[in-house]
Amino acid sequence: MTIRSKMGGTRRDTRGVIRASAALLISLVIPGVLLLASPAEAGTASEPGVKSDIKCLKCHSKNRKKTLEDGEELSLHVAKAEYANSVHGEIGCTACHQAIANKKHPSRDPISSRRELSVALNQSCRSCHAENYQQYEGSIHARLVADGNHAAPVCTDCHSAHRVESMEVYQPVTGLPCKNCHENIFDAYAQSVHGGARVNGNVIRPSHIQAPICADCHQAHEVTAVAASDHLTSICLDCHEEASLAHNEWLPNAGLHLDVVSCAACHAPLAERRVNLELYDNIAQLPVGQHESHAAFEKRLDAIDEANDGLDPVELWKLVRESSQAGQATDITLRGRMEVSSGVDAHRLAVKTSAVRNCDSCHRKGSDAFQNVTVSITRADGRSLRYEADQEILSSIVSVDSVSNFYAPGGTRIKLLDVLLVLSLIGGLAIPIGHITMGRIVKARKEEGEQ
Amino acid sequence: MQTIYAEHSRHDETYINPLPVRIWHWINALGFVLLILTGVQLRYVDLFNVMSFEAAVELHNWVGFTVIANYFIWLGYYLFSDRIKVYHPELDARKFFRTWFQQVRYYSYGIFKGEKSPHNVLPYDKFNPMQMVTYQLVMLVAVPVQFITGIMMWDVKRFEVWVEILGGLRVVNTIHVLMFILFVFFILVHAYMGALGKKPSTHFKEMFTGYEEQD
Repeated sequence: MTIRSKMGGTRRDTRGVIRASAALLISLVIPGVLLLASPAEAGTASEPGVKSDIKCLKCHSKNRKKTLEDGEELSLHVAKAEYANSVHGEIGCTACHQAIANKKHPSRDPISSRRELSVALNQSCRSCHAENYQQYEGSIHARLVADGNHAAPVCTDCHSAHRVESMEVYQPVTGLPCKNCHENIFDAYAQSVHGGARVNGNVIRPSHIQAPICADCHQAHEVTAVAASDHLTSICLDCHEEASLAHNEWLPNAGLHLDVVSCAACHAPLAERRVNLELYDNIAQLPVGQHESHAAFEKRLDAIDEANDGLDPVELWKLVRESSQAGQATDITLRGRMEVSSGVDAHRLAVKTSAVRNCDSCHRKGSDAFQNVTVSITRADGRSLRYEADQEILSSIVSVDSVSNFYAPGGTRIKLLDVLLVLSLIGGLAIPIGHITMGRIVKARKEEGEQ
Repeated sequence: MQTIYAEHSRHDETYINPLPVRIWHWINALGFVLLILTGVQLRYVDLFNVMSFEAAVELHNWVGFTVIANYFIWLGYYLFSDRIKVYHPELDARKFFRTWFQQVRYYSYGIFKGEKSPHNVLPYDKFNPMQMVTYQLVMLVAVPVQFITGIMMWDVKRFEVWVEILGGLRVVNTIHVLMFILFVFFILVHAYMGALGKKPSTHFKEMFTGYEEQD
């Protein structure tokens, strides 16, 4: 028993070793072969990662076209290698083209335009990128799309449809994708202290953080209408943490300046500046125009400024008063802010030593900074609607009421007070001169009488 | 009364202005002049270029705070001494208006005829009725309004709630400038009327030495 057992046990063991060795070999070799064969791991894929995509690309790698209702011919070609190498190469065509999986394909359904197709397909992005999509929905881009603006971007306009690339691709200073639409602004940025630093390896000063590119200030997906808000000042201060203290050291009322003067107004020294007076509801704590249709506002404006020659001080006073009366429980004021007239110029930020530091440039009567004045309302999408105003509104006594919160000593001084000062000087000198003269006349007459 | 005044008199002079009042007055006078000059520089950079805007702001602020501190020397002295009587020697409205008109008549007519001032300067009754009204309006209304609005504009963010309550920065500034205009007028007329004593130098001398020449 002992011997058989031993012998039998030995035979069983040998078979087990062979089976185990074979299994090990299979378990090592097959994945190895698969690994070597995997195009994705090799770095450049020539085939998409999802098997069903091969079927799609059989047709879509050909130069087929579909005629749209607007007459344009839509290319149905998908560059196989580009798609396979994109970050979406692994998820399969139907992950985005979900409708196709449920319908007969190719569909005979008409497509009105390329834009309509892009907007419709844009919803697909939401299923995987819910957070980014939600941010996008709150952006000025999405609001413009909803308003029917054909130039406003949907996801694929920035990320492309089939050549979707990772974030890192957008890091270098190429300006893409923003430059596609905002070329002038990007060119101004590229020449700015930020753009220059970015090109030169971010060397602004030792140990400085990376100089910003578009999305660092404007956000990648939650792009807001910057002209309508002052949030960019806080974004500037996020990186330039020392700026508040640095301004405090030399600038009187530094906090007020940071509130009512945009950073670019001083740090883009060659830019043309303007004063914008935003109608603001103090009770609702919202700019005027959020709920009211701008057409209704413009109608009221037209009725006040009949000559359509820009609001004068009295017209502005009427506008503020009537805006207060138009709604219920409103307290309308004008929030003044000095800013750069052009969005392009706002990106021409210069090195700190070139910034405007001469107080006279604003605090001087006739300063260029106060020659352009606009009055604005702010639409729900954040965009400002600006209306020309006479620069006299900054120096009129009527504006003490309507423009009560914006004042720059010297630069926006009130003319009537200048007149009163001259009168007080004349009066202050006339009383002594008149009194002395009267005394001399009386004395002379008295002497004549005595003679 | 004679006994009281005797200790304040020397020869033919009466001690009218004690030292704290004289110190306050000349600091205030110098402060007002500097505030007016720096204020003009701030407001009229396009017309005057005596100093930079930045320097004018700095000087205006320092002098402003000095004048405010000095104001409390004046207030403290009068509140905590019996000299406060100089502003109200007799609380008799009818007499006040009668003497006020007499004083106006004197400056506009009697002085030319060589008449004597109807008001006799005494240590506890040193102001004529015109001075009494004017100085109280200046010291109890105009100066406080000026330094309150000035402090608000010195640091608008710190006092933004108060600025809002007053109606906004432009309102605060307009009040400040109106007071400034008033002070320009006041200083010119005040300096001239200071020369309408027995001799042109009488009141100026009095403000330096404290003693008023008596007849």
